[in-house]
Amino acid sequence: MATPAANMDKPVAAPSKPAGSGRPRTPRPPRPNFRQIHQFPLPVNVHHVPPVIPHNPLSLISVALSYLTFLIMPPRHEIYSAYFDKTTSSIHVTDEKSIKALWEMGFFGKGSLSRSEPSWLAREKKRRGLHDGKTSEEVTRARREERRALKLERARMEKLAIEETLKAEAAARESGPAEGQTPDDAANGTATATEKYSLKKAKEAKMLEAREARLAAQDAELEQKPEPNGKSVRFSPLVQKKEFSSNSPSSETVMDAFDADDFPNEEHLQLSNEEAFFLAYGLGALQIYDAPSSEKTKSTSPTPISALLQQFCHHSFQPARHDTAALQPDDPFMISYTVYHHFRSLGWVIRSGVKFGTDYLLYNRGPVFSHAEFAVVVIPSYSHPYWSETEERRKYTAEKQARSWWWLHCVNRVQAQVMKSLCLVYVDVPPPAASIDDIGALFGQYNVREFMIKRWTPNRTRD
Amino acid sequence: MADADEEVLQNPANASVQPEVDLSDETQDFRFLNNLNIYADSGSLPRRGEKDFEPNPTEHQTGVLSESRRAMHNALSFPRLHSKKAHVIAFYAPDGYTPLAEIPPPKAPQQTDKSTESAEKPARPTPRSANINPDVCVYVPNPKGPFFKSVGQSDRWNRLWLLPEEALYLIERGSLDIRWPSPTDPAIPGEDGLSIPMSLQAAWASFIGHGGLTLERYSVYSGLKRLGYTLARAPGWCDEAEQREHEQNLAPSPSYNQNIIPKLRGAGLAGILGSLFNWIHDPYSTASTTSGPMIGTGINRHYMDVYRKLAIIPWYDPITASPSNPSDTTAPFRVVFHVWKPSTPVKKSAPPTPEFRVAVLSTRDQTTMPNMTQLGALLESTPLDPPSGEKMERMMYMRLRHGYRNVILAVVDQGVVSYLRVADSAFGKEKLYENQGGPRGPKRGGRGYQKSKKR
Repeated sequence: MATPAANMDKPVAAPSKPAGSGRPRTPRPPRPNFRQIHQFPLPVNVHHVPPVIPHNPLSLISVALSYLTFLIMPPRHEIYSAYFDKTTSSIHVTDEKSIKALWEMGFFGKGSLSRSEPSWLAREKKRRGLHDGKTSEEVTRARREERRALKLERARMEKLAIEETLKAEAAARESGPAEGQTPDDAANGTATATEKYSLKKAKEAKMLEAREARLAAQDAELEQKPEPNGKSVRFSPLVQKKEFSSNSPSSETVMDAFDADDFPNEEHLQLSNEEAFFLAYGLGALQIYDAPSSEKTKSTSPTPISALLQQFCHHSFQPARHDTAALQPDDPFMISYTVYHHFRSLGWVIRSGVKFGTDYLLYNRGPVFSHAEFAVVVIPSYSHPYWSETEERRKYTAEKQARSWWWLHCVNRVQAQVMKSLCLVYVDVPPPAASIDDIGALFGQYNVREFMIKRWTPNRTRD
Repeated sequence: MADADEEVLQNPANASVQPEVDLSDETQDFRFLNNLNIYADSGSLPRRGEKDFEPNPTEHQTGVLSESRRAMHNALSFPRLHSKKAHVIAFYAPDGYTPLAEIPPPKAPQQTDKSTESAEKPARPTPRSANINPDVCVYVPNPKGPFFKSVGQSDRWNRLWLLPEEALYLIERGSLDIRWPSPTDPAIPGEDGLSIPMSLQAAWASFIGHGGLTLERYSVYSGLKRLGYTLARAPGWCDEAEQREHEQNLAPSPSYNQNIIPKLRGAGLAGILGSLFNWIHDPYSTASTTSGPMIGTGINRHYMDVYRKLAIIPWYDPITASPSNPSDTTAPFRVVFHVWKPSTPVKKSAPPTPEFRVAVLSTRDQTTMPNMTQLGALLESTPLDPPSGEKMERMMYMRLRHGYRNVILAVVDQGVVSYLRVADSAFGKEKLYENQGGPRGPKRGGRGYQKSKKR
């Protein structure tokens, strides 16, 4: 099956478009109200003040009143705590409430055992039959299973078609030299080539089949023990069977081993260094401790911001640099944080793009609302005269800036496949700074420039 | 069919000379050539067949394959002739543009009253008519037919002078019969059979490398030309050598000084009032960019304020940046072709603004991607093309994708051309937090294909 992936994915995706007219699908469970859950874009409290209307003196009073209340009872500024894990050079948040807050307000971090949102506990509860509903991981898995089954089915059908042709040919050979037929067919092959097995058709057929199977199964199911995930009607019977057989025994044994509601959350929230630094330095919403936060050794004071910057810079190398190493303006952390901060400050939800081979993905509002539209690749740039002063520096910077065309084409084609726009972000690196005391001034010396890259197909732009 | 060649549609007579069907980068099923009636001018175009991806033991497949191969050979073996009607003769002039002497006798001293310096004509002549490109090397004394509408430059003797890429394209296409200059007398070539026709091989040998025409540039030229585009050389074509020297002692592009920290913007009365209100709203700001937290520990009134305080990273603004002069561009990153769509009427004498600007580069000479300076200079050498139109105003993504300037890089890797559109987009100009709310509703609402998009 050498069909390019594009051809495989499209037919699967296409049928979902036409408004599901009469499609056999049970109504989805209602989505959580994401707009309510994620109403705050950042983990910062804002307190609206009634607007001042110049020609309405009463408005002044209401403003004054609100000031008074703030003066008397200043609102609490929530500060979350996390610790820095040297071995993975990432930030861990273990407090349940902080995890929830950081995810819901601004989509920071990623569950260590989940795809993005920390959902391990929910999945685990579900697995043990304590909880109902679907996690996003399950939805994805179901979709993948379905696609794989369809592809297998297509391969099978193609094989069948070939066998049939072979049989027909053998029969024709035996019956005599009626050779006029095949070449004729071949001559205007566009019309007569064996009709290709189309995924779309297969899917439609599957739907019908599944509906019938479901109707038939409903009676049988009454006798059976109800399965927790027996609701997934979109599966082909074959896949469903596979799922049952793989799920049922394991869940039962686990049920025996553990008591129901009484297990700890094994998952923590993992923040990237850029996210953590943004939360700590930009928003002041996070305090980062050094030692692993086992209760006794928990250090009492959080790492100061300037020390944090040094630490992250050192850990942006693999292996981490020694603590005494001097900071360079082109430390990977400095460059990646510049880009992170730039897009965050414009209101984008910026998350790692490692799954698509880029540095970052940009979401409008957040991953639960929309797909990422932009994929960001970060490239350092050394246009300041300092970097071309000596031969050595020129060589160094040339090496740092070099990206091959093949790499670019790879990244570009992947982004086209997943419907993202590729954005090259060049970060202009300043010469080494005298001091790093003023972090704001330090980052103010960097310069960000974005280029959109897209494949241009002359065939498509002719008109 | 969308990818059919337009010229075939328009001029079925020429299609009979050499069928031109767009072959995309797939392996071809050549059986479609059987359906193409080469001899009669039929209006219909062939369709492509279906594709098998793996060999299988059926006779059907073998039959299809051999049939396809036969069709290809058939098409290739079709004799390509210059038909009497469309036969155009041209002459090779290796010395470039030479004005025709007014008086036919060639050996006689040049006594044209208008030109005084025509005496040193045999040495590489400087073209007297400023509009004739010095790189021209072929002229057509009697241009006729549709191909000369968009190529070549006429002199006042109604001779059409062709650039090497134009001549090579036409001879490759079988639409031009180029003759060697007559050995006895270069000025007056023999009109009927006195000089020898130039072979295709000779054409390649003479034209590639002539006047800055590289193989890469020619593949881009011929590829786009075959699709029906109109191409013209851009000013960035020539003087590479001197530019390179110039490049060495060039200080970094001055446009970076023009960057404005977005925080500092906002002027006029509104700005003053705004800052006043900000002061009222936030009288005891504890915000500190020195060691954070940047937004302060005080009370924030609105997320807008939070975002405004966060903006410390300077970004490049394509509007305020001074347009660099074209000499800032580095050699391969330079606009070489101006391109117009097939549907755009292009007058040779007064070409409209180009629809695409193409820079050609070879991956074997330029093995790495351009750095910011090179790419920036290339983009700044193109005119400002900000997103406009009702649709763009509504859709932020489209604005960002369109960018403020754009150029097309034709990356030629050993004959394989990949085109990339590079646009200068300024995310900093689109404050996402100001129209927070973005895409409404659950994410399946939008475009139809979003389902297949990965998060």
